[in-house]
Amino acid sequence: MRSYLIDSEQNEYIVDLRKTIKHSSELVEFEFSTIEDNKVVDSKNVFIRKLAGNYYCSFDNKAWRKLARQHVPKKLLNVDRVFDLYRGYKPSGLSSGASGDLLTQMPGKIVKINVKEGDTVEAGDCVLILEAMKMENEIKTSIGGTVKTIHVSEGDALDSGVLMMEIE
Amino acid sequence: MNIRLRESEPKRILIVNRGEIASRVAKACRELGHTAVGIFTDNEMNAAHLEFCDEWIHMKGSTNAETYLNVEGLLKIIKDNNIDGVHPGYGFLSENGAFAKTLEKEGVAFIGPHAEAIRVMGDKATSKALARDAGVPVVPGTAEAVPTVEKALEVAQEIGYPVLLKAVAGGGGRGMRACLNDEEVKAQFEAVGREAVSAFGNGDLLVEKLIVNPHHIEVQIMADKNGNVFHFYERECSIQRRHQKIVEEAPSPFIGEDEELRKRICDTAVKLAKAVNYDSAGTVEFIMGEDKNFYFLEMNTRIQVEHPITEEITGADLIICMIQSAFGEDLQIPSQEWIKKTGHAIECRICAEDPITMLPAPGKVTGFETNFPQGVRFDHCLYRGLDVTPDFDPMVGKLVAKGLVRDVAIRKMRAALDGLYIEGLKNNIPLHKVIMDEEEFREGSYTTDYIKKVAPQERINTDVDFGSVYKKLAAAEARNMGM
Repeated sequence: MRSYLIDSEQNEYIVDLRKTIKHSSELVEFEFSTIEDNKVVDSKNVFIRKLAGNYYCSFDNKAWRKLARQHVPKKLLNVDRVFDLYRGYKPSGLSSGASGDLLTQMPGKIVKINVKEGDTVEAGDCVLILEAMKMENEIKTSIGGTVKTIHVSEGDALDSGVLMMEIE
Repeated sequence: MNIRLRESEPKRILIVNRGEIASRVAKACRELGHTAVGIFTDNEMNAAHLEFCDEWIHMKGSTNAETYLNVEGLLKIIKDNNIDGVHPGYGFLSENGAFAKTLEKEGVAFIGPHAEAIRVMGDKATSKALARDAGVPVVPGTAEAVPTVEKALEVAQEIGYPVLLKAVAGGGGRGMRACLNDEEVKAQFEAVGREAVSAFGNGDLLVEKLIVNPHHIEVQIMADKNGNVFHFYERECSIQRRHQKIVEEAPSPFIGEDEELRKRICDTAVKLAKAVNYDSAGTVEFIMGEDKNFYFLEMNTRIQVEHPITEEITGADLIICMIQSAFGEDLQIPSQEWIKKTGHAIECRICAEDPITMLPAPGKVTGFETNFPQGVRFDHCLYRGLDVTPDFDPMVGKLVAKGLVRDVAIRKMRAALDGLYIEGLKNNIPLHKVIMDEEEFREGSYTTDYIKKVAPQERINTDVDFGSVYKKLAAAEARNMGM
């Protein structure tokens, strides 16, 4: 099965499960490879063994490390990046917004909006303040231009990935 | 008072908190034979903190104002459930003097200090004045709130830059900003005030001198209602981001072998606690400069997040002492000499945040497992399926490791971090790993600007680890195959 890992910046990794070998009811071997530009850039065999209700994994069937058991994950974590995981299909319609679109990077509440529609802003200006986990975060624009539309108002509680403001 | 008459009877204790501290308090209640009553809200139907509570109460609502800060609602619960004492944990109502006073009036024990101590120490201006009167050194700055930005600028110029803008009612690093010049004071004054209003309901600000290359050193205090005040040595909490601690250790590596200095700072803390007739667990925070001069910063009139490292080096149970003190009982500590410290303990705060930007990252825990070396303590509220929402603080656990010497504690912590698996939720474990390996930390010479200056977050390897991706996919496949 082919899996697609896509992060919020649209970086994409394709991972293929090439082979599954069931050694016993407690030990399974998988062959994985990563594909970039139609070429295999990385390939490894992974062994999974169940021991006392826990999953252990190994690359050589000798040295084992415990794994956190998960339901089929929809997200995969890599240090500071969370990838959305799509197994078997690549989602369509995923396009990065224009760089003047301000989206929430985390859920939070709008504390203050410093601009109004029609205002001229410069790159790096703090256009609004978002409060999340008892902290105020200054949201800065990465481009200069005119504030076209403001989709939110002060006091709004927002989810992650919500379009707050468009700048042209 | 009727509280004392029931001294030997089992009590019913309401825990007005959530997460790991609620579990911690419930364990102490169990040990003492008291009944622990826990609270959960509309969006905490699976709350793990109830695991150790004997009784569970559903509080309707999901915002803090409707639940953990809802004094009216809590008073009703207290009456309906024959509660004898309330443990507030940290945060929420733990340093709310009015709440403590209300409970006093109702004849219910507030498991914390008396209301007057909370009031005096909760206000930075009054606490500083009291410390000054008690002969405790304080940092130069304004004793009273500065009303305007013009006045703030005037004070800043008088005591000299750099200065710190602090909320009068602030704590835990919130409502605090360093300013290097007039422009920064002008730019920050309004923002700090606004943060203070929303977080503490009081926008008054102080201006004070910023100590260069400072160490944040605090002394754990425990006192009873009979005037006994003990100290449990110091902790160093210099590794901070946004003025909030992320790694703490006890004892302080900066004080090191200087027993004379250690005794002086601990005795100073006891002196201050005695000056307010303190009667519970508390922490006296000091700032210590390069010259080893120390100044009183504030006193936290609650149990603190990092209390486990003190428990690890002294063998005391501070939560149990708090409960005993609140009911007027003996702390079972014969004298200060009985409190000995051995070894070294380190705590890493595990937070749901981006390890590099250190910004909160709410999300859902899709997998959680531990595989620790011997003797590691992990106070946490994690489980598979936990939703970390933006409504609360991002801390989800506290990893504590101890060794006879500091190097051993670091080695154990490093191994413990390797054996802590949290999936689906961005967390700062990668940052802690880098800190444990980093030279300045290992030398123990770091100061409060460690995160800014040494920048361990920039050394975190963020390359996509294909091996780790395969492992996770393989585990999911194995599960799909029915293994």
